Amino acid sequence: MSDDPQKKMTPYTVPIGPTHPALKEPVMFTFQMNGEQILKADFAPGQTHRGIEWMGMRRNPVQIVHLTDRICGICGVSHSLAFARAMEQIMEIEVPERADYVRTIIAEFERIQSHLLWAGVAAHELGFDTLLHLTWRVREQAMDTIELLTGNRVNYGIIQVGGVRRDFTPDQFPAIEETLQYYSDLKSKLLKIFLEDKTIQMRCRDCGVLSYDDALKLCTVGPTARASGLNMDVRVDYPFAAYGDLAIEPILPDAYMGETRGDVFDRIVVRLLEVDQSVDIIRQCLDRMPAGEVIAEPKLAKLLNQFKKAHGEALGRHEAPRGEVLHYVRMDGKEHPTSWKVKASSYSNLMSWIPMLEGEQIADIPIIVASIDPCLSCTDRVAVVRSGERGIMTKEELHRLSVEKTRRLSA
Amino acid sequence: MTLIETILAAVGGTVAMAVFGIVAGLFFLGVDRKFAALMQARIGPPLRQPFIDAAKLMRKENIVPENAIPWIFNGAPILALASAITILLYLPVGSIMPVLGGAGDLILVMYLLTIPALAMVVGGFASGSPYATVGAQREMVILIAYELPLAIAIIAIAWRLSMAGIADPFSLTTIAANPVWGVVGPVGAVGLLILLGILAWVTPAELSRIPFDAQEAETELAGGLLVEYSGKNFALFYLAQAVKTIVMAALAVALFLPWNLSSFVAMAPAVAVAADFVFFLAKVLLVVFFSISLIRVSMARFRINQIVSIYWVWLGLAGFVGLALVMIDAILAGV
Amino acid sequence: MKPAKLLTPEEVVAVFAKKFGKGILESRITERCEGVGKRPSYDIWLDIDRDTLHPAVRELIAIHFPHLGVISGTDIGDAVELNYHFSIYYGTKHGEYMVTLTVALPKSDLRVATIADLIPGAVFSEREKQEMLGVEVVGIPDGRRLFLPEEFPEGVYPWRKDETGIRDGMVKDLWAVGRPANRPARPAIPPEEEGVVQAAEVAEAKVTAREPAPAEEERHE
Repeated sequence: MSDDPQKKMTPYTVPIGPTHPALKEPVMFTFQMNGEQILKADFAPGQTHRGIEWMGMRRNPVQIVHLTDRICGICGVSHSLAFARAMEQIMEIEVPERADYVRTIIAEFERIQSHLLWAGVAAHELGFDTLLHLTWRVREQAMDTIELLTGNRVNYGIIQVGGVRRDFTPDQFPAIEETLQYYSDLKSKLLKIFLEDKTIQMRCRDCGVLSYDDALKLCTVGPTARASGLNMDVRVDYPFAAYGDLAIEPILPDAYMGETRGDVFDRIVVRLLEVDQSVDIIRQCLDRMPAGEVIAEPKLAKLLNQFKKAHGEALGRHEAPRGEVLHYVRMDGKEHPTSWKVKASSYSNLMSWIPMLEGEQIADIPIIVASIDPCLSCTDRVAVVRSGERGIMTKEELHRLSVEKTRRLSA
Repeated sequence: MTLIETILAAVGGTVAMAVFGIVAGLFFLGVDRKFAALMQARIGPPLRQPFIDAAKLMRKENIVPENAIPWIFNGAPILALASAITILLYLPVGSIMPVLGGAGDLILVMYLLTIPALAMVVGGFASGSPYATVGAQREMVILIAYELPLAIAIIAIAWRLSMAGIADPFSLTTIAANPVWGVVGPVGAVGLLILLGILAWVTPAELSRIPFDAQEAETELAGGLLVEYSGKNFALFYLAQAVKTIVMAALAVALFLPWNLSSFVAMAPAVAVAADFVFFLAKVLLVVFFSISLIRVSMARFRINQIVSIYWVWLGLAGFVGLALVMIDAILAGV
Repeated sequence: MKPAKLLTPEEVVAVFAKKFGKGILESRITERCEGVGKRPSYDIWLDIDRDTLHPAVRELIAIHFPHLGVISGTDIGDAVELNYHFSIYYGTKHGEYMVTLTVALPKSDLRVATIADLIPGAVFSEREKQEMLGVEVVGIPDGRRLFLPEEFPEGVYPWRKDETGIRDGMVKDLWAVGRPANRPARPAIPPEEEGVVQAAEVAEAKVTAREPAPAEEERHE
């Protein structure tokens, strides 16, 4: 705070961010406070905008698929799947059926690990570190399975335009089955420790409420919308990949709790139940998985040639762990797209922070902010404050500093 | 004893207790971290980690924020550590009687307990950071909140001792010499168990531990009142925290677990002091485990309004129930 | 909020065609079938007149309160096209349609009416379109920048493909930067500790100028 008398009067301003222990990724919040109560909340995203869409519009779709892998550190398959689906629609590629199933299975494993990661973060925001350690430990099983199936823990690199880049081998199925059994056994334990714990109830019940109307009007998606009673799940509503073949129902909190309050607790309920739903979806996929090829066009050179002839626009959608992912792609007969818009799930959810936060206490900020499972982005620039002077460090400087540091460490 | 000898004894005792408080405090912080890690299925840091941390912090640069009031900002950590050590001088350690035992009693200890917390509040307000300001406000609220149950627990014991006809019941020497469990009947024992529970729940708030660490609340306030502290100043607060851990444990031991090994087994005086000291450390370990480690791994952090209602309503009520049982016990005993 | 009656995609287009007549410039329906069951999902694309946008969204709300996915935009040379991607009938199993309303704004007059009065959540995407494409959303309740930093120059719009787009000088190709010349010297390593890989690096380091590391950097280690 400076000597500005305005700031010392009530209501006073509390800044949270761009970096703060409550935020796992940078975003800038400004709160007008009255004592412990939040009067007004505002936020500024883009603290680390990377310009990925700009980069994509200068690259060919095969390169973009790998770029989409890196949009998010957790949804490694969601963006690639949405982008690949948009490209396939423009080029009218028929994706092999087995590839649809492989995509679905990987996407659901991703949901399991993402929701467990979130549950751990939420527990940590509440100061319940024991649960953080527990959930992150059980999350490893999903990570290991993903690594077994795709070769990577994050940035799976499994999606390609027209299918997937590698098929499951017969020896992988027992491992998948073991993981599914592991999470089936864990379901009741997880529900018990999260939903029956008194302190979690005290902190999360009726905290950060998002009404049905607000959820609808602020265009929220995914578990955040469903926890407010908004029945919206791309997997159920809009058949794609293997989801059209499966029996799935959207998870809404009133089915488990008997009522919908739209608070943080309901968001925990929805996410935990979705872990179990994902196990069920993977089981259904394994039962129905057809044999055959997994990629429509294995030769990259041929695929790249086809991109140059592609004309048209299409939408690729997918229900990522955090909600709807939407990619709009437009090709005009050039190697790179004329237009590419990535709509990540959190893009739709950030607006819902404002009604959730206003009227709550400072203590609730971390859990409410985390409750929509925000997924922002990584660095493109860093501001360094040194002896009062503010300067922006360029990529070259950062690169240089990091190389130096590595060398010093390895020396 | 001449005046000089008295002064020398007091100074020597103070230095010895300060060293003991810091070393044992850091050790028990390490024990707590190890316990918590094991309960969370982690390996955890080595036992000597707090010593490493303190030593490293001591070597680090002290940064005083632009908006801070330097003399208060720098003075608060010294005050916190000094007052924490001062409390230790009034508490018995095993069969070693308090250095200043003759000069103060339990009421004084209760008041002294607020000084380290007040030092942190002052330091927080002087930091000139909104996080520290919010943290300092919370610390004051918590300070007021836990005072009621703590006072009930302490007064109930002293009152029961005085009812039993023991002179000078507020003196810690008296309390340590006359275990209250021996005085009360079965009804009073139940009351005392409730009071013991209350003291176990006040301890985390006194030490800013989860679930009562709203004043530091890492994920909300980024460390709250300590957010601007670094280097030596932070190390002093860290040491004060260590000494406070011993203080709270020693207080619980003195009030509720005052037995010494030497009163059960005949031993040579020198051996007895050592045996009692080790036994004391074991009792401290017990208190640290139950009222710090166990509580903090099994709960989420409370909001500040929840903390106040827990202390004033729930623990306050429990305290009165405990007090009533002790009183009924006194009546039944016919005093 | 269940819709009263579910329309087929053709019927949805017909509703718009009837209501707005010439305001709808072009319409098409795309169908995509995936999986073994080949269950179709439908996207409806409507190219509409700029002035029809606001009443068209109102009409969409009358059918079923739409979920606004995002507004995307393309610089197509003499105009900027905005695509409003809505979905309706979510919550009905396999019955959701995407409805994309496309408006073309000539570059001489890049203005479009806000739809945030109808769908408050749209302001987020509208703010992004203002800074990325340089369109002016008339009546936007919050016109601040969204993602771009404060110090980003005015009049530069990253998604534009004309002279207002990102200029060459603003792009830093990290891969092309090469070895920085002012890198501090590596600490000397006794020969016996050197691995084979490190030896190559040392040889390289010898060629570069050896400047002492600034004291400032040491502190930030």
